[in-house]
Amino acid sequence: MEDSHIQHCMFGPLGLTMGSQNTAPPFDPGCSGTTVATIYYGHCVDWVVSKFGRVLPVLQLRCRKGSKARTVKYDPSKYSHNIRRLDRTSPDKTTSVTQLTWGVEGGDDDISKKRRGEFPPYEPIKPKKTRTDAVDSHNAFSRFKRAQNSDRNTEVHPLTNGSDLLTNHRAAQRKGRWFSDSDVDSDEEIRRLVAAQQSSHGALQQEAEDDNLEVVGLDYLVKSGPKGYEEDYDSAGTDELFESKRNPAAPLQEKPSSPTAKQFSAKRSDKKRQTKRKTPSGDVSSSKPSSSLQKDNPAAVHPVIKHAADSHSDEHDEEEGNSSDSSSDFDFPALFSPSASHLRITLADLQKLAETRVPSILGSGLKLSSPPEGPAPKEAITPDEILASILGDDSSSDDEEQKKKKRKTEGETSTSLQVSEGNADKCRRRKRENKHGETKTSEVLRNPQTDSSSGSEEEKMSAAEDQPSSTSCSEEDEQEAGAAPCPAPAPCSESSSCEEEEEEQAPPRLVLAAEEEEELQKKANMRRLAALQQRQKEAEEHKRVIQGALANLDAPPPTSGKHIVFGSDDEEEKQEVESKKPLFQDSQSDDKAATDAAAAANQYATQQEVRLKPSAPQLFAASEDEEGDEEEDGSRFDIRPEFEGRAGQKLMALQSRFGTDERFRMDSRFLEDDEEEEEEEKTEAQKSLEDDEALEEEKKKNLTILQSVLGSSQQTSSKTAGKAKKFRDVSALHYDPSKEEHAAFETKTDETMKESKATRKKKREEAHKLPEVSKDIYFEVSGDLKAVFGPMNNGSAEGEEEKNWDQVVEEEGGGGEQQLLSSLLSADPSTMSEESTGFRFSFFGDESEAASGETTEYKAEKIQAPKVSWHQDPRFHDSSSEEEEEEEDQEEEEEKEGQSSTGAKITEEETPSKPDFFFFSSDDHRLKDGPRLFCRMSQLEEQREQWEERTSTLRQEYRKKHKDARRKLKTSQKS
Amino acid sequence: MRPLTDEETKIMFEKLSKYIGENIKLLVDRPDGTYCFRLHQDRVFYMSEKILKLATNFSRDKLISVGTCFGKFSKTKKFRLHITALDFLAPYAKFKVWVRPGAEQSFLYGNHVLKSGLGRITENTMQYQGVVVYSMADVPLGFGVAAKSTQECRRVDPMSIVVFHQADVGEFIRNEDTLT
Repeated sequence: MEDSHIQHCMFGPLGLTMGSQNTAPPFDPGCSGTTVATIYYGHCVDWVVSKFGRVLPVLQLRCRKGSKARTVKYDPSKYSHNIRRLDRTSPDKTTSVTQLTWGVEGGDDDISKKRRGEFPPYEPIKPKKTRTDAVDSHNAFSRFKRAQNSDRNTEVHPLTNGSDLLTNHRAAQRKGRWFSDSDVDSDEEIRRLVAAQQSSHGALQQEAEDDNLEVVGLDYLVKSGPKGYEEDYDSAGTDELFESKRNPAAPLQEKPSSPTAKQFSAKRSDKKRQTKRKTPSGDVSSSKPSSSLQKDNPAAVHPVIKHAADSHSDEHDEEEGNSSDSSSDFDFPALFSPSASHLRITLADLQKLAETRVPSILGSGLKLSSPPEGPAPKEAITPDEILASILGDDSSSDDEEQKKKKRKTEGETSTSLQVSEGNADKCRRRKRENKHGETKTSEVLRNPQTDSSSGSEEEKMSAAEDQPSSTSCSEEDEQEAGAAPCPAPAPCSESSSCEEEEEEQAPPRLVLAAEEEEELQKKANMRRLAALQQRQKEAEEHKRVIQGALANLDAPPPTSGKHIVFGSDDEEEKQEVESKKPLFQDSQSDDKAATDAAAAANQYATQQEVRLKPSAPQLFAASEDEEGDEEEDGSRFDIRPEFEGRAGQKLMALQSRFGTDERFRMDSRFLEDDEEEEEEEKTEAQKSLEDDEALEEEKKKNLTILQSVLGSSQQTSSKTAGKAKKFRDVSALHYDPSKEEHAAFETKTDETMKESKATRKKKREEAHKLPEVSKDIYFEVSGDLKAVFGPMNNGSAEGEEEKNWDQVVEEEGGGGEQQLLSSLLSADPSTMSEESTGFRFSFFGDESEAASGETTEYKAEKIQAPKVSWHQDPRFHDSSSEEEEEEEDQEEEEEKEGQSSTGAKITEEETPSKPDFFFFSSDDHRLKDGPRLFCRMSQLEEQREQWEERTSTLRQEYRKKHKDARRKLKTSQKS
Repeated sequence: MRPLTDEETKIMFEKLSKYIGENIKLLVDRPDGTYCFRLHQDRVFYMSEKILKLATNFSRDKLISVGTCFGKFSKTKKFRLHITALDFLAPYAKFKVWVRPGAEQSFLYGNHVLKSGLGRITENTMQYQGVVVYSMADVPLGFGVAAKSTQECRRVDPMSIVVFHQADVGEFIRNEDTLT
C-alpha cells in the first residue's frame, strides 16, 4: 500500500498536470503541501490539487486524506483514475515521475526563492531546457534516481528532496545551489545508469549531453581531437602536426584521466615512471642480462633502500586502485589509442625536444624535472608518490631522451617514436609497431632488443602473476595479453612492444635494485649527453649543408650551364634528403623521406624551370642557353645609356618591374621624349597647383561662410570661443620664471593686493564705523555724561570689556557700579559687541565733536592725562585692580587709535583731559604715579602690533573660509 | 563628387556649429594638411586632399564612400549628421552629456536620454543645444540635442527626457547598410 501510495502521490500530480494540461512549469508539486496547495488552487480549484500538495510527502498522504476529507471530499475512484492515467502514459512514466519530483524540488522553493533571488543554479537549467516535459522529466528523473541512490550521492541528497520536509527544504536547496556542479555529474551518472531504462527519452539524454558539453567539452575535445588527427594523418605523419600536437601529447595522457579519476592518472604516471626507470635500464643494457636480472630477482630488489619505498608505495597504490585501474585501463587504451598516432614523433621533433631539454638537463643535473613531466608531480597523491615521481622523472626523462637518441643513432631513419612516450600505452605502441613494422631498418636494428625483451616480457608476465601484491600488473598483463595477440603475430615484434610490456610489468621490475638503477641512470645520462652532443653536431652539420645548398640555389654558378644547374639541384636534393632524414625524422620509413625529397626535388626543378624559361624557353638546348647566359653575364654590368637621365630612371623603374627578363628588356626605343614628360609634369604640376589653389579658395570660402555662420550665432558662440581660447592657453601654459611675462602668474602680487585690500577695508570699516557708532551713542552718552561723568568712564570701560569683567566686579561687591554698567551695556549693546574701539570712538567722538577746537591744546598731555585719570580714579575709589586693567586696555586702545588715526587720538585725549580738570588738578602727583605703576608703554605697543597682526590674519582666514563655503555652495548647487 | 555650394556649406556649418561651435575652423583649417568637404550622393564627406585626389580616379556611380561621411542632405535640403561624424565632433564638442552606465544601453538602442540616466552635463547648456553624449568613462556614444537646459535638468523629474537622441554608436550596427 505504501508503495502504491507513493506511486500515486508521485504520479498524482503528473496525472493532474497531464489531465489539466497545466502549462505553467512552476506548478511543480512542491514538497511543501501549503505552497503547492496554493499553487494548485490558483490554477484549478480541484480537490486534486490539495491532495497532491499534501500527498507528495509520501506517507503523509493518508493522514492528510483523512484530515482533508472534511474540507474537500476526495474520491478514491478519481484517485485511481489518476493512477490509471499514469499507467496509460507508461512510456512517460519517467517523465511524469520527474515532473513530480521536479515540481517538488523546484516548485515552491524555486519560485519563492526566485523571487528572493536565492536560487540561481536551478533557474538556468529551466530556461535552457525550454520547459519541455522531457526536460522536466529528465531533471526529475535524475533527482529521482538520486533519491534512490542517496547513499551514493550524499551531497545531492538534499536536492533530491522529493520527500524532504519543508523546514529543511530551503536550507537543503540553498546547499543545492552550491552543489549544482556536482549535480551535473551525478545527473550524468544517473543518466548513464538509467540510459538503458530510458529508451523513450532520447531527447532528454541529448539535452543532458548538451549540458555536459560545456563541462565535458574539454575532455571530449581532447579525446576526439587526437582521433581525428590520427585518422587524417596516419599515413601523412607530417612534422607540423606533431609540432602542434606534440607538446599537448604529453599532457594528453594525463588529461583524459583527470576528469575520470585523478588517482588513476596518478597511478598511471607512477607506473609510467616505473616503466621508464626500467625501460631505460633495459635500453641501456639493451641486452638480456639486465632484463633477465631484473626479472629473475624481483624479490631481491625489494629490500633496496631508496626505491623500495617508492616501489612499495607504487605497488600499494596499485593495489588500492586495482579495481579502479582495471576499469580505467579499459578506458585508457581507448583514450590513448587515438593519441598514439600523434605520438609518432618525427626525428625533428625529437631533436627539438633533445635540444630544448638538454640545456635544462645539463643545468639542473640529474634532479631536473623536464617540462613535459611537470604535470606528473601534480598527480602524485601521496608524498611517496611524489618522491617517486621526482626520482622517476629524472630517470624517465633522461631515459626517454636516451631512448630517442639511441634509436636515432641506431636507426637514422628511426621511425619509431616509442621512445619519447615511454608512458604511452601499449596500444599506442602496438599501433606504432604495426606502422613501423613497415620500416625494416629500424626493425632490423632492434631485433636483438626485441628478442631479449620479448623473452623478458614473458618472464615478467609470469613473475607478475606470481606476485599477488601486484594484482593490477597482472590484470594489465592479462589485458595486454588479450590485446597482445594482434600485434604479436607481426613477424617483427618490435622492441617497442617489448618495451611497452616491460613498462606494463614495471611494477615487478621496480623491485629491481635501486642501486643498479642509479648506476644505470648515470650511465644513461652520460650516454644521453654524449648522444645529445652528437645530435647537436649533426644538426649543425645539416644546417650547414642546407645553408650551402640554399646558397648554391640562390646564386647558381655563372659559368654552369643548365645541365649543371640540374646536377646541382640533384645534389641539393640529395643533401636535402639526407638532411631531412635527421631533421624531419618522420616516423615513416625512408620511403617517405624519399618521396618528400622527390617532391622537393620536383619543386626545385619546377622552380628552376620557371627561372630558366624566360631566358631559355628550350630546356634542352644546352649550348645555346649557356652561350646566352655567358652573354648575359658579360653584358650584365654594361652601362646602359638608355637608363640615364630622368627618362632613363623611369625606364629603369619599368625595367625593374619586369625583372631581368630579356624579352622585356627596355631599350632606348622605349625612351620617351623628355619634352613630353616635362610637359606632362608641368601639366600635372599645374593641375596640382590648380587643385591646391582651388582647395585654398574653397577653404577660404568655407572660412568666410563659417564666419558668417558664426557671426549670426556669435552671441552664443562668442562666449564659447572665448572659453575655448582660454582653455587652449591654460593647456599650453607653462610657468617659466625666467620670463618676465610670466610674472603676472606669480601669486605674490595677488597676496599684496589682498593685503592692501584688507588694509583698505579695515580703514574703510573704521572710517565707516566711527560715524555710525557715534550717532547711536551720541544720544545715550550725552545723557550719561550729564548725569554722571566719572562713573561713566568706569562704566564705559567695563562695558567695553566683556561681561566677564562685570561678573568679577559683582563678586567683589561693587553693586552701584554694576547697575550703571548694566544700564550702559543695555544702552549700547550693539556697539559694544561690535568693537570696543567703536564704542569708545563714539563716546569720545561726541565730545570730540563738541570740543574739536581744543584738540591742539591737549595734545601735549594726551597720553599721560587720560591714563592718569583712568588709573587714578579706580585706585582712589578703591576700585578693583581689574578696573585698572580695564583702564589699561582702554589706554591701549586709545593709543592704537591715536597712532592709527591722529584725529581720533586727539579727540580721545581731549575727552579724558576734561574729566581731569573736573576732578584733579593738572599737577596732581597721583597722575604721575599712576602711569609709573603701569609703565607698559613698549609692551603695549608690541601687544598692539600683535593684535593688529592677529586681526588681519583672522580676517583673512575668515574671508578664506567664507569664500570656500561659498564655492562649496556653488559647486553643490551646480552638481 | 563635387565641392559644396555656399548654401550647402552654410547649412552644414550651421548644423556643425551646434555641436562644436567655432571649432569647425579646426576642421576646415587643419595644420596637418588640407582637408575639404565634398558632396557625393547627397552625402557630405570630409577627406584629406590626398584621398580626394585618389578618389577622383573612380567613377561617381562606383564610388560609395570617401573619407569620413559627416552626414547627408535631405531632400528638403536640411543637413542631418551621421554617427560617422562622431569622431570629429567628440574631441571638439562644446557641450557634453555623460550618461550613466545603466542608461548607456538604452541610448545606444536609439532612445532619448532621461533625467534618470543623466550622469553629468556641461553647465550653461542651453535648450536645444547640440550635445555630444559620453559614457561615464568618457567614451563618446553619440550626440543629441539638449531637451532641457542645465538648470531645468536639475528640477525635472527623473523620467523626463533630457537629451533628444540624434545619433548613437549603435547605428554602426543598426544602420550598417545605409551608413557610409
